[in-house]
Amino acid sequence: MAATARLGEQAGPRKGTGRLASRLTPWLLLLPVAVSLGAVSVYPIFEGLRLSLTNTSLVTQEHDFIGLRNYEALIADPLFWNAWRHTVFFTFVSTLAETLIGLAMALLLFEHFTGRGMIRAAMLVPWAMPTVVTSKMFGWLFDGQYGLVNYLLRSVGLIDQNVNWYGSIDNAMATIIIADVWKTTPFMALLLLAGLQTVPKSLIEAARIDGAGAWSTFWNVRLPLLMPTLLIAGMFRALDAFRVFDLVYVLTGGGPADSTETLSTFSYKILFSTLQFGYGSALSTAMFVTEALIAAGFGYFIMRKMRSAR
Amino acid sequence: MSEDTNKTTPSPQRPKAASRLMVGRRQFMAGAGMAVGAAALGVPRARAQSRTEITFASAKFFGKQTVGDVVEMYNQAQSKVHVTYVELPPPSASTEVHQALVQQLARKSGTPDVFTQDVVWIAEFAGAGWALPLDEYFNAEARAAYFPGTVAACTYDGKLTALPWFVDSGMLYYRKDLLETAGAKPPTTWDELVATAKALQEGGKAKFGYLWQGKQAEVLVCDAVEVIASNGGSILSADGKSGTLADAKAVEAIQFLHDTINTHKISPSDVLSWDEEPSRAPFTGGEAAFLRNWSYVYSIAQDPKASQVVDKVGVVPLPHFAGGSSAACLGGYQYGVNAATKNREAAIDFLTWMSSPEIQLHFALQLGIAPTRPAVFDDQKLGAEQPFMKQLKPVFTGATPRPVTPKYAQVTLAIQSGVSRALATGNVKAELEAANQKISSVVGG
Repeated sequence: MAATARLGEQAGPRKGTGRLASRLTPWLLLLPVAVSLGAVSVYPIFEGLRLSLTNTSLVTQEHDFIGLRNYEALIADPLFWNAWRHTVFFTFVSTLAETLIGLAMALLLFEHFTGRGMIRAAMLVPWAMPTVVTSKMFGWLFDGQYGLVNYLLRSVGLIDQNVNWYGSIDNAMATIIIADVWKTTPFMALLLLAGLQTVPKSLIEAARIDGAGAWSTFWNVRLPLLMPTLLIAGMFRALDAFRVFDLVYVLTGGGPADSTETLSTFSYKILFSTLQFGYGSALSTAMFVTEALIAAGFGYFIMRKMRSAR
Repeated sequence: MSEDTNKTTPSPQRPKAASRLMVGRRQFMAGAGMAVGAAALGVPRARAQSRTEITFASAKFFGKQTVGDVVEMYNQAQSKVHVTYVELPPPSASTEVHQALVQQLARKSGTPDVFTQDVVWIAEFAGAGWALPLDEYFNAEARAAYFPGTVAACTYDGKLTALPWFVDSGMLYYRKDLLETAGAKPPTTWDELVATAKALQEGGKAKFGYLWQGKQAEVLVCDAVEVIASNGGSILSADGKSGTLADAKAVEAIQFLHDTINTHKISPSDVLSWDEEPSRAPFTGGEAAFLRNWSYVYSIAQDPKASQVVDKVGVVPLPHFAGGSSAACLGGYQYGVNAATKNREAAIDFLTWMSSPEIQLHFALQLGIAPTRPAVFDDQKLGAEQPFMKQLKPVFTGATPRPVTPKYAQVTLAIQSGVSRALATGNVKAELEAANQKISSVVGG
């Protein structure tokens, strides 16, 4: 002890600079990442906030500070709340459906059977397709006059008249949700399948030896251990679903009667068709705030889960 | 669209391009017999430095030739001005074309000197002071040579701020064979259309009576403008400062569109989600009696590979209400000159050449886009090569502009939303009143 203390004293000043350098090194190494993230991620957010406090419009060439007037207009804009409600509804229903179906698919694909590898790979096809292609495909499948879906439903006698899928206020949103569930469920299944692999086999075996049935093993062993994965996957999916654009844009353009307008399509119209950057930025900020709230909600449960696991 | 491209002069000496141009030019000269072009053949090409350099930006159009080929014809035809052509995205990506133009024009750098624009942007560009008023260069007499609707669309606040390039508009396609079996004439009023469509549908001759476009998109505004104007109504007041979408005539017109689905049952409710192509397919598939659409449908209808109705399709102006007159929503692109241009004379010279009857004929023959000068439709060559286009003269005579306002982009969203709501819910009066309030607050404020 004494020797090391003395050594330390002797080497004091040199070690001091060494300590400074070693303390600086990680920051220096992080600098490029911090700068690039700052430039492409943090700066745009603050620039968006700044723009949302102005009446910037490319067309009128105004860019004056107008305080919170954009937000006042936003709160009074029925089209904004219309789009907001649709987006939240879409996010909630599609995420819930995708999680449940994805979980069922994951449990199935976790079992051993011949051709499992093939099926696991095939499952991913819908997810790998560009959304615009999916949208066009569903456009034809659900076409009110010539669509395969109406034809099949008519053939088995479930309907006696063609259903107007995305041309009626009552069905349009449901049609878009069906298309989204078809496309994105594989993503959830993949994440949950990975989660299932982390559940120790020994626990399942122990449960079986204790006489637990499949159902009880699932509820009491697998599901609790899968919970953190489930929450994280749900959060990813919800945040992604919140930005839904391509499906709506291609299938309905927000119609009929604004019944499928979402925040993304609405802000696209305001920002890029009318070039009102001020009001459009206020709209984007409102989206950002809602997304942050969703993330915080999931984050709260994830943290609680992780703490209780410890 | 970088600054540098303005300065570079493309070398027309490249053998391949040159020979192609020569052929194009010879054909063109044979057709139009243009004296200027003949002179240019003998005159050696002036050195690039002595020419005034200007740029011309246009959305991408093509047929047998491209817009760039025609610009090159101008470069060859005279030795004072050299035009660099900047190609923007095709009109199907209209939002991007609009953005590119706004960004360039707002910089007031004078680039591009000349540009082409969708009819609905004219008021916006004029209101912002980006478009040079052209009255002093094209007097009343010169303006009278165009379809009145196109000149109206090019006029903002009493000034001519654009010059018509080519025109397209809504029109009524009908099945000649079906109308013959029913002993009916092509309808001139909506009542006649309903009666004929009903008879054909009930007789099992056609699955659908009348197809139109009700998708919440720009095309819905076009369909709405047509029925409203054919009833003597409008969407904006004459001074453009308030909405008139809730007036009795407009309400009656939109109610008629709603009735085609719900009362007369001559249109399937699917039209509420259909734009041009979904509504075109059943018609060329032989399942519909009438279709409202643009001029592009005709060539598809005449293509045996894509159509069941080859030689069975006729075109007439859209019907009107009793006491009204037929209206066709005006589409197409028009020329504009950048107010900040540093080469005004050169720009006007180029514009005059591009808008001349000879070049309009050339555009019609080589790119298949319709002239805005009625006189060009009477040209024999057009009649021989584009017989269909020749028929469209009466259709384009009734061409009606969409609401002329610098805030069109906001107004159109309000119309799309309001009319779509009116059609989907059936509360026509209430929904149009709500939309009209929104429109008035946009244009009045």
